[in-house]
Amino acid sequence: MVTDEIQTKVKQVISNVLKISADELSNDANFIFDLGADSMQSLELVAAFEEEFDIEMDQEKALEIQSVADAVVFIENCLN
Amino acid sequence: MSHRKLNQDEIDHLIKNGCTASDWQSVNVKQGFNPINIKNVIFSGEVILGNYTGNFELFPGLKCEFGIYNCTIHNCSISDNVYIKDVKLLMNYNIEDNAIIYNTEQISVTSESTFGNGVEIEVLNEGGGRELKIFDKLSSQIAYMLVNYHHAPHFIKNLNNMIDRYIESIKSKIGLIGKYVKIKNCKQIQNVNIGPFADLYSVLNIENGTIASNEKAPITVGEGVIAKNFIIQSGSIVDSSAILNNCFIGQSVQIGKQFSAENSAFFANCEGFHSEACSVFAGPYSVTHHKSTLLIAGMYSFFNAGSGTNQSNHMYKLGPVHQGIMERGAKTGSFSYLLWPSRIGAFSVVVGKHYSNFDTSLLPFSYIVESGGKSVISPAMNLFTVGTRRDSKKWKNRDKRQDPQKLDLIHFDLFSPYSIGKVLKGMDILKSLYEKADKKQDFVLYNGINIKRLMLKTCRNYYNLALKIYLGDKIVNQLQNMSDNISFDNLKQQMLSISFNFEDWIDLGGMLVPKSESEKLVSAIEMGGFDTLTDITNHLQNLFNKYDNLSFAWTLGLIEQVFEIKITEFSSQHLLQIISEWQTNSLKLNNMILNDANKEFDSKSQIGFGIDGDSEIKLKDFEEVRGTFAENSFIKEIQSESEQINKTAKDLLKKLNSSK
Repeated sequence: MVTDEIQTKVKQVISNVLKISADELSNDANFIFDLGADSMQSLELVAAFEEEFDIEMDQEKALEIQSVADAVVFIENCLN
Repeated sequence: MSHRKLNQDEIDHLIKNGCTASDWQSVNVKQGFNPINIKNVIFSGEVILGNYTGNFELFPGLKCEFGIYNCTIHNCSISDNVYIKDVKLLMNYNIEDNAIIYNTEQISVTSESTFGNGVEIEVLNEGGGRELKIFDKLSSQIAYMLVNYHHAPHFIKNLNNMIDRYIESIKSKIGLIGKYVKIKNCKQIQNVNIGPFADLYSVLNIENGTIASNEKAPITVGEGVIAKNFIIQSGSIVDSSAILNNCFIGQSVQIGKQFSAENSAFFANCEGFHSEACSVFAGPYSVTHHKSTLLIAGMYSFFNAGSGTNQSNHMYKLGPVHQGIMERGAKTGSFSYLLWPSRIGAFSVVVGKHYSNFDTSLLPFSYIVESGGKSVISPAMNLFTVGTRRDSKKWKNRDKRQDPQKLDLIHFDLFSPYSIGKVLKGMDILKSLYEKADKKQDFVLYNGINIKRLMLKTCRNYYNLALKIYLGDKIVNQLQNMSDNISFDNLKQQMLSISFNFEDWIDLGGMLVPKSESEKLVSAIEMGGFDTLTDITNHLQNLFNKYDNLSFAWTLGLIEQVFEIKITEFSSQHLLQIISEWQTNSLKLNNMILNDANKEFDSKSQIGFGIDGDSEIKLKDFEEVRGTFAENSFIKEIQSESEQINKTAKDLLKKLNSSK
């Protein structure tokens, strides 16, 4: 899966979980400070990424993901 | 103690001192009696007087002579070196040495009394049916069984009979004011036994009760207190205009600041301020501190009520018959509301208002929130919050009981066969829900509450982390107890020598026990296997003392479940895996807790600091007031614990390898 494709899917997942339009999501948007995610929603995002990309993410490391760009890199590494 | 009649010189002296008696022949005195410090006293009925010499400080710097002044005394035995002054009526009491009673309107026993013992209070179910007979030796364990085990009526009957026999031994027409009791500036005390070293000041009206004070753990009952039909156990403080009606106050409980309660029992280390309790079974360490909080018809323990917490038990149908349970360690956020009947799992947090009835007892360590009017649970999420860890550490350190006889038996472990047994069941529930759920579903419903489908797998993983930590804790602890003989063979030998059942554990009013042990006890009481409350208390104490052995035995069953083996098949590879996973998961949990704690120092937490300054001042102000993450004592403790985990794992693996 190429980076652009991952990025599109990541934004779609974020859009679904946080109920924000995918078009409004910039790559450097911070989940907590820019998108208003609380700690529970951060965990939901991780679970949603796992389901969408059919991967297992280490929970502790996954919680270090702070932004759209972080998520894309993390998932890309998992897939590779 | 031998007494004699007054001689004429003594009677003359007393009359000269302004004293009168309905019959001087009914006034008996101890050998060595001197009437000099008895002035303006009206004696009535049978009175025994002691010797009153020397002085003491009534208030700092104000020395007073022991004696009896300006009082009416009826049917009292008054021991040595007391100071009783300005008491309008003191009737039917034995007053022991060095008691001080000053400026008080009336202290009387008006008829044969049990002094609050035997009062039946309607806890948990306001509509009745779960009456708890209170007495001065009541423990949270006995209370728990009496309140909850009505499925066994013979058990209830036999236990209540034992309590009745005990109460019969207390019944008397004469009350007790123990040695070194201080009663100052009180209004009315009626049918109240007051144990040694109690301190009563500015009490308004207390009636039909026992203040079971002792030297090691004195009791204070303070200003403005109104209490009727009550027991207060040692070490407790009830003051500042508290109002109690039909209440049991356990050891080292604090009640005050206008708290009011009725038909409620509060066990060891509970705290009730400002708020209200009605038909509450407050197990050990239940705390409510804030105004507008009403706890009603619920059972709680290790509980912290947020301000404005409320529950309802009525619904205006068949009366106030609904009841609720918040298992140990549960807490509520500000203005949370629960509709009884509901049962909240252990160590869970409830936030928001919940209008549905649910049972989450098999999903401990959860967040229960309201979202769009819907109750939503996120299982396991409270495992790695800094609050849970802090709570679990603080309780043991905050046991205020000074009485050598601790009546409530309390286990403090966060991870135990009780909580981990629930975790194990919770994992099965989440797995089953996950397998059955459609991917199009946002939520799945479980026992009346919603769970986000996406979270099912994640939450299960977190439960697994707790399970691995518990398993490792027990095995590591067992190895460490072998000191110089740490080896797989020794461990295996120990394992094989233990017979075990993998069964449910329960929280018996603060004591964690295998369910079968509680059932055996109930059955034995039903069959008449216990004669006295003391026998039952001793049995419970023995059970309490066996916790380490019983929980290790349970862990062997857990190993069989987790590895799907018989314990005879347990190998050194299994052992190494347990230690390795213990290390990994313990560190992971600690890191997650640290991560959560770190939020307490982030920019959101700094909002409002450095009120008139720039960002530099904001940070400086914050750090001066709140400190830094790196310097926080709790953070340091967790970090140090992580270092210790690494060291322990390394040492154990080395020793196990060298013993091969």
